[in-house]
Amino acid sequence: MAVSEIVGVPIEVLLVEDSLGDVRLTQEAFRDANSNVRIHVAHDGVEAMAFLRRDGAFSAAPRPDLILLDLNLPKMDGREVLACIKGDESLKLIPTIILTTSDSEADIVRSYELQANCYLSKPVQLDGFESLVKSINDFWLTKAKLPQQPPIA
Amino acid sequence: MRMRTLRADTRTPHLADADTVATKSANLSPVSGRFLSQGRFAGFLLAGVGAVGRCIASALAFATSLNARTPLVFVAAALIVLFVGGFSYRVVDEAGKSDALVRHSHRVLQNIEHLRLAAVSIESNSRAYIITGEPAYDEARRAVIAGMQRDLATLRERTIDNAAQQRRLPALERLLAERVQLSDTAIAVWRSAGFSAAVNATRAERNFALGAELDTVSRTMRNEELRLLALRADDSKRRVEQARMTVIFAALLAALIAAAAGWRVYRDSSQRRAAERDLRLSEDQYQALVQGVEDHAILMLDPTGVIVSWNTGAERMTGSRAEDVVGKNVSIFSLPEDRRSGAAANILRLATANGSHQVQGVRMRRNGTLFHVSSTFSAVRDAKGGLRGFSVISRDLSASAEAGAKYRGLLEAAPDAMVVVNQSGQIILLNVQAEKQFGYRRDELVGQPVTNIIPEGFAERLIADGVRSAADALAQQIGTGIELIALRKDGSEFPIEMMLSPLESPDGVLVTAAIRNISVRKAAEKVLAQMEGRYRGLLEAAPDAMVVVDQFGEIVLLNVQAEKQFGYRRDELLGQNVKNIIPQGFAERLVADGLRSAAEALAQQIGTGIELTALRKDGSKFPIELMLSPLDGPEGVLVTAAIRNISIRKNAERHIAQMEGRYRGLLEAAPDAMVVVNQAGEIVLLNLQAEKQFGYSRNELLGQKVTNIIPDGFAERLVADGLRSAEEALAQQIGMGIELIALRKDGSEFPIELMLSPLGGAEGILVTTAIRDITARKMAEAQLLQNVEELNRSNEELGQFAYIASHDLQEPLRMVASYTRLLSRRYKGRLDAQADEFIDFAEDGANRMQRLIQDLLAYSRIGTRGEERREISSELALGHALMNLRGAIEESGAIVTHDPLPLILGDETQLIQLFQNLVANAIKYQGPGVPKIHVSAVLDGAKKWVFSVNDNGLGIDAQYFEKIFGMFQRLHRREEFDGTGIGLAICKKIVERHGGAITVESQAGHGSTFRFVLTAA
Repeated sequence: MAVSEIVGVPIEVLLVEDSLGDVRLTQEAFRDANSNVRIHVAHDGVEAMAFLRRDGAFSAAPRPDLILLDLNLPKMDGREVLACIKGDESLKLIPTIILTTSDSEADIVRSYELQANCYLSKPVQLDGFESLVKSINDFWLTKAKLPQQPPIA
Repeated sequence: MRMRTLRADTRTPHLADADTVATKSANLSPVSGRFLSQGRFAGFLLAGVGAVGRCIASALAFATSLNARTPLVFVAAALIVLFVGGFSYRVVDEAGKSDALVRHSHRVLQNIEHLRLAAVSIESNSRAYIITGEPAYDEARRAVIAGMQRDLATLRERTIDNAAQQRRLPALERLLAERVQLSDTAIAVWRSAGFSAAVNATRAERNFALGAELDTVSRTMRNEELRLLALRADDSKRRVEQARMTVIFAALLAALIAAAAGWRVYRDSSQRRAAERDLRLSEDQYQALVQGVEDHAILMLDPTGVIVSWNTGAERMTGSRAEDVVGKNVSIFSLPEDRRSGAAANILRLATANGSHQVQGVRMRRNGTLFHVSSTFSAVRDAKGGLRGFSVISRDLSASAEAGAKYRGLLEAAPDAMVVVNQSGQIILLNVQAEKQFGYRRDELVGQPVTNIIPEGFAERLIADGVRSAADALAQQIGTGIELIALRKDGSEFPIEMMLSPLESPDGVLVTAAIRNISVRKAAEKVLAQMEGRYRGLLEAAPDAMVVVDQFGEIVLLNVQAEKQFGYRRDELLGQNVKNIIPQGFAERLVADGLRSAAEALAQQIGTGIELTALRKDGSKFPIELMLSPLDGPEGVLVTAAIRNISIRKNAERHIAQMEGRYRGLLEAAPDAMVVVNQAGEIVLLNLQAEKQFGYSRNELLGQKVTNIIPDGFAERLVADGLRSAEEALAQQIGMGIELIALRKDGSEFPIELMLSPLGGAEGILVTTAIRDITARKMAEAQLLQNVEELNRSNEELGQFAYIASHDLQEPLRMVASYTRLLSRRYKGRLDAQADEFIDFAEDGANRMQRLIQDLLAYSRIGTRGEERREISSELALGHALMNLRGAIEESGAIVTHDPLPLILGDETQLIQLFQNLVANAIKYQGPGVPKIHVSAVLDGAKKWVFSVNDNGLGIDAQYFEKIFGMFQRLHRREEFDGTGIGLAICKKIVERHGGAITVESQAGHGSTFRFVLTAA
């Protein structure tokens, strides 16, 4: 069922992004788009994986409904993260959207090869960006049916 | 007389028996028996002697066949011996016969006796048997009876020829039978009646009487036989005596005859021996005589002509020793032609026929030299006239002072017809050849006037007339070959050449004429004359001047061309020395000097074209080329000279020489190294530059292989191989600048460029090579390449840089732009007016920067992200662009039209960009009214399309036509028109990347037309 149909349950979104400015913009954009969305931020790939696996400090982390993944990350690159997520039985079901400034064909292809669910280029303009986020919300969090979350192991 | 063979007849056993009986009854005729046998032997011996004697006689007869009498005598002797032998044989035979008869009688007597005894024996045996009773006596009796029967039969047989005896036989038989019967009876009586009865039977008177009768008969027979015997014995004796006498006589006779024959033979042989001795003696004397003769050859031949004896004189005359010639035919000394014709055999035949024959003739020694002989051949016969052989006495006439005979020999031997004529013109001598030539026999010509055979021209010449003596007249003719006509016997004529020579003779001066039939020669001369005629014709027709010159340099023949060339008339030149027309160089060449013969001198000139200067009649000179060839003439070797006027050629040669000079000059002056190479790859010419370039001196390079200075790539290119000729090989290279490596003398290499061009030379095609040292160029090229590479690299780097820069700049810019926007949105109106303004400016700046960077990125991508040009529809590209601009088009209400647009080669994305920018610009910079934009394309040439984008916008001032295509160039303030000013720069870059150019045609206020060229597909 659409996550938004579940009333009262916040939508967990993991944003993997190293640029604080971008993080803020994304947060602001989602706030406008859907107030029910709770954004979790991982600033690099390692953190992202730790969050997903609920390692260490993230032992209580919720399982995200959606992952927004930037490609150019320090420590562990976004492509690696993608590969890890999609390689992990318990994680691969989570829709993972690449959200990056790059629009190079190579990156696009690579991402889809690694089983990214979607590839989105960040528009340069704010309006465009906000519109994109709205679209994400519209599509992925409203219209698209997402798999039920398995019980917490 | 054959030996008597023992015949197997009925007599033989008798003879044998008789022999044994004879020896047993030795008393009867021992002497006659032995003699008889001996007589037979003697008979054989006689016959044998006779035979042998006759053999000897016939042998002797043969040996002394000359004596005819002896055979006759001997035949008589033989006959006598034969007769005597036969007679004595008969006598002996008779003796033998009578002897046989004697023996026969003896046997008969014996038989009779046997029978008488047999009768007695029978009786006694039967008596004994009766008395004793012993069977043995009976058996004996029976045996005797059997024997008696046998004897009877024998007796009968033996006395078959005696009738008297035969008559008595039956009585005997009867009596004997009675005796047997009596004994049988007695025995029978004894057997039956016993002994005493038998005794009684045997005592009978008959018994006794029988015995007496038997005795009587047997005695009678015996007597008869004895009487016969006596007769026969007498006869036999008589005959034996006869035989003895005969044998003795015969033997004596035979001995006598043999003695006579022997004596005869002896006499004959001793006679012969004596004769032989005499003969040998006389022969020796003869030989001595013959040998002693030294000046005459005396030889003996056998009937076939084979040399049997040879004397010293012969040896001297011929030079051959006896041992070399004895056994060979005398014809070995004949001349070959005589040998062929069998002359020697002829002579022998003549000698045989006539007894002797004398000949004179020429003979040939074994060493081949000739000698003249007078020979007498005499047939030698034996006493009976049979040919024993020939004797030959020869006198050598060569040494003889007899000129006539010697001469005659020579004459005969001469190959030509020889006629000797006296001063009156009479033929006194001729040879066999003359006979043949003229068809006369010798005797038909001797004594005849010579005009019979040579009508004219000979006799006249001989006449001693008032003007000259015979000797003078003759002297004039001596040695000259006079050609005349001769007349054969059959009236036919033939040409002759006569050679005269004088001959002293006792009768005055004679003239010997050697006459040669020159018909053949005349014919040959005619042919020659014909050929000469033809040759003359050829000469006249020849295109070149032809002059025939003799060994002395005199012109003997010339043709019309020669007349023309030299400007003389023919008769002005004939006989003249060739020096008149060719002053130097010709006549000298022909001279036979001490170093070489005329033929050799000539041979040197044959075939070579000799260049000389000729002299015309008018004194002008002109260059000529001579070609000589020899011509055999009767008067010696002539030289035919073909003379060609080579003035033109000389001029040409001069020109060529000049040009060559100029060429050489050019070559020397050329700035590049010039090397001329022949087909073999050898350097035949080079200039100063070449010397400098390669560091060699001229002489070091001339003749060298060009591979010494250009190791690879040049020589190979010139090779005429199976695929192409030299010209073709060369043609391939002409005009091409070939880059190769050259090699200096010091071994250093340097790059060169070759330019080849052919040069026809006398010895084939030469190749002129211009060699340019392209070291500098190469370096420049290398530099250029390097620069280009660097440029490319830097461009690439720039491209990358542009990309990276713009890309990396995007991020922070995005932040700035985004947050200023947020700020603007959230806080506009919440802060003071200044803050609003500040935020506006910040936002604006950020936005602009973003757009700039995007444009920059786009611009940089044109080079870096361009695709391969391929065939694309410009119409479709335009459509795409319009799609992208639909918003702007709708908004502005612009009307965009286009003509059918072609297929072009290009990058689709970029083409879309191009159209997009131009159309966008047209919309943006619209004038009043609805923007109208039209796109069209026009074909320019075969490969170019000129596109036009025409609008009715604001237009552009001419001064800005260049500027607007610059980067970030704007003509309007930002407030007026938005934009970064990169649009047209991008268009320009795109068009340039497609190999075209973009221009604008515009007028301020009247719209603009942008034109650009693209390549047709």
